[in-house]
Amino acid sequence: MAHVSVPMYWRTIPQRYKMVGQKCKKCGAVNFPPKGVCKHCNASSDFEELQLSGNGKVHTFVLIGAGGAPPEFAEQMKAGGSYPVAIVELAEGPKVIGQMTDVNPKDVKFGMSVKAELKKIYTEEGVIRYGFKFAPDAEGK
Amino acid sequence: MMSVGISGYSAYVPRLRIKKEDYAKAWGSFQAAGVAEKSVMGFDEDVLTAAAKVSRKALESVPLPPGNVTRFAFASTTAPYLEKLLSGTVLVNVGMPNGAFASDHTTSTRAGTEAFISAFEHVKATQGGVAVVAAADAPRASMWDPLEHPMGAGAAGFVLSSDNLIAEVEGYSSYVMEHFGERFRPTGGDLLQDLSVKKFFATAFMTCTTKACGALVKKLGAKPEEYAHVVIQQPDAKTPGSVAGKMLFNDAQMASGLVSTNLGDLGAASTPVGLAAALDSAKVGDRIMVVSYGSGAGSDAISLKVVSDRKPVPGFKEQLEKKEYIDYIQYVKLKGALK
Repeated sequence: MAHVSVPMYWRTIPQRYKMVGQKCKKCGAVNFPPKGVCKHCNASSDFEELQLSGNGKVHTFVLIGAGGAPPEFAEQMKAGGSYPVAIVELAEGPKVIGQMTDVNPKDVKFGMSVKAELKKIYTEEGVIRYGFKFAPDAEGK
Repeated sequence: MMSVGISGYSAYVPRLRIKKEDYAKAWGSFQAAGVAEKSVMGFDEDVLTAAAKVSRKALESVPLPPGNVTRFAFASTTAPYLEKLLSGTVLVNVGMPNGAFASDHTTSTRAGTEAFISAFEHVKATQGGVAVVAAADAPRASMWDPLEHPMGAGAAGFVLSSDNLIAEVEGYSSYVMEHFGERFRPTGGDLLQDLSVKKFFATAFMTCTTKACGALVKKLGAKPEEYAHVVIQQPDAKTPGSVAGKMLFNDAQMASGLVSTNLGDLGAASTPVGLAAALDSAKVGDRIMVVSYGSGAGSDAISLKVVSDRKPVPGFKEQLEKKEYIDYIQYVKLKGALK
């Protein structure tokens, strides 16, 4: 299992629950998830916090089917069947990976508008790990 | 005196549904009077993710930034933890201030109105106060127990303040008594129990709902026929009708808020979702009566008067239509009933 300890998870709550990103003070690029050094200019670790909107578009996606799920998602796959995982291009620029939710896998399309929502990701050490997944956004442009 | 009421609201209905026919196929009958189908949460959802969604949407419907919230009240009978603050998860996700007073209301299906009234009291007493109420529920019982048949899933959120009102709260009344033997979960148990004596439930339900509502109508000097919408706790789709007549309400008044026909028993979110549905179809000047019930036992009655035609998007009806059916086996898996 891709083990993420409770303290490590806890420290990343702003990005996992609220999608707080960072804006590089040198080149102005937006990083998400937050980085130690700006991944765009590779020259600055001086950031300001930026609250992302959670809006984005599906850049690409894949369906995780039987046997393809990592151990922490095996139960989810057994209970709910195959699930889509997407790379989403956020409105603010960064591309992030995340599960799609609240959608029939057949209805996922390239370029569809999505919005980040709080969902249960998995449970480890008796602790429910909440975080964002992407749901179709009918009102999205 | 300053008016306090609902400035924004939102309902959430999970996309998945199961039909009564699938229960009948599995068990020979479906024991949820008047319920045609019910809503089911997905594997990655729980009452906190649903509460987060309605809290956010309710604030957006005003619109009001989450940073303005001074009070957050969460209600559910199906908490993912028996001990650990629940409201904090929602508060952080939505971006409400850490200094807002947050509370969890969890021990009976009356919790939704309990949260609503405590939030209302806060706004009344706080200059510029803004409260968010989120009631979300997906009650559970053993699959072997007919008590499980009506149990659905849903959530509703409300923003209470003294600005930009959609509906003004005219007042509330409560009735609480000691009662036992119906719908209880002893310490250490995960599933609801019921001694299955219909009379136990019927007596307490009748007493609490009619006393709370009767006291409120009297206090306000209102007449039952003045209410265009009446929302009574819906453990199934027939029970509210069994007490409505005693309060001099009729079926037409209950039509807009009878959500259990399509969603089942929403537990602590039953009257909140019913209220959101009623608000969606209400016109300016309409009065709405909400009467909750929680086993153990108690009821709250809340009277509202609609003062604006503003409606959230998407509406409750649109959400009802967006659905995908699952069969009984998928249902049992999603409910976590296969260990």
